[in-house]
Amino acid sequence: MALRDLLSRTTLLDRVIVLVLFAAALAGAAWAAVAPGGERLVAESGGKIVFTAPLGADLTFTLPGPLGETVVALRGGVARILDSPCTHKVCIGMGGVSRAGEITACVPNRLLLRVEGGRGQEAEYDLLTR
Amino acid sequence: MTSSPVDPLILERSRRRIFLALFTALAVALHTLEALLPSPAPWFRFGFANIFTVTALFLYGAGAAWGVMLGRVAVGSLVLGNLFSPGFLLSLSGGVFATALMTISRALFGVRIGPVGVSVLGAAGHATGQIFVAWLVLVRHDGLWRLFPFFLLVSLVTGVLNGWGADALTGMLRRHRAFSERLRKDEG
Repeated sequence: MALRDLLSRTTLLDRVIVLVLFAAALAGAAWAAVAPGGERLVAESGGKIVFTAPLGADLTFTLPGPLGETVVALRGGVARILDSPCTHKVCIGMGGVSRAGEITACVPNRLLLRVEGGRGQEAEYDLLTR
Repeated sequence: MTSSPVDPLILERSRRRIFLALFTALAVALHTLEALLPSPAPWFRFGFANIFTVTALFLYGAGAAWGVMLGRVAVGSLVLGNLFSPGFLLSLSGGVFATALMTISRALFGVRIGPVGVSVLGAAGHATGQIFVAWLVLVRHDGLWRLFPFFLLVSLVTGVLNGWGADALTGMLRRHRAFSERLRKDEG
């Protein structure tokens, strides 16, 4: 059997390491997924805040950077980069950000979008009681 | 070309050196190829090049593993033209963390750890090193660490796959004349 053959290629310590790291990664992913929703979108260019908006807003705006203009859309509490003049378009592929502490960035164009949580953070922990 | 009578020890040693050079060359090739491939998700890489670092660690020792990794990052970035760019910095930091973890674990656990364990530790080290340097140099924001578990999950999967690859390669090469038992303890 193929699976047994693959397992026979591992030592006991190998399996322990894989399982422990997987457990740690899953726990971390679960922790990251339950992070509270954010309140405010903050855009930084070269370390300076150039734009802020409440996350609930519904708008599309452009931000200037060294390469050109990056188009950002804020819709339904999710901010995402729609277009950017960088070569790899990684920022577009990163998808939307909506939770407190989440970031998306177009590094070539020196732009950083982050979501900040407000005072509403504590209320979000009431998930279990809802 | 005819082979002249030569001291078999020297012949074996030359063969081993040639294999190590091939490892580095293939690692560079894979490193470059992966950078050119469109990735299914941002920042997602298979890290196949690490197969050769692991194989070098098992067939030669820690020094060879460092050589293959540093050679791959240096030559690979020259080929890609991103020497000293952020991408190069991320490759280097990931490689250094990965190789440090792999060589240390091999030194600590010896025969009790196999290529899969070493490769998984290397993949985890790669993800950690990259995100740490990205946080240190590129984006000084704690939110970056929220992405870390997801990077780690992906890297663990590729780490296991690469570990099996390295195990298969190591097994194949151990049967080659260049890696007969006679010389194993001599170097590395």
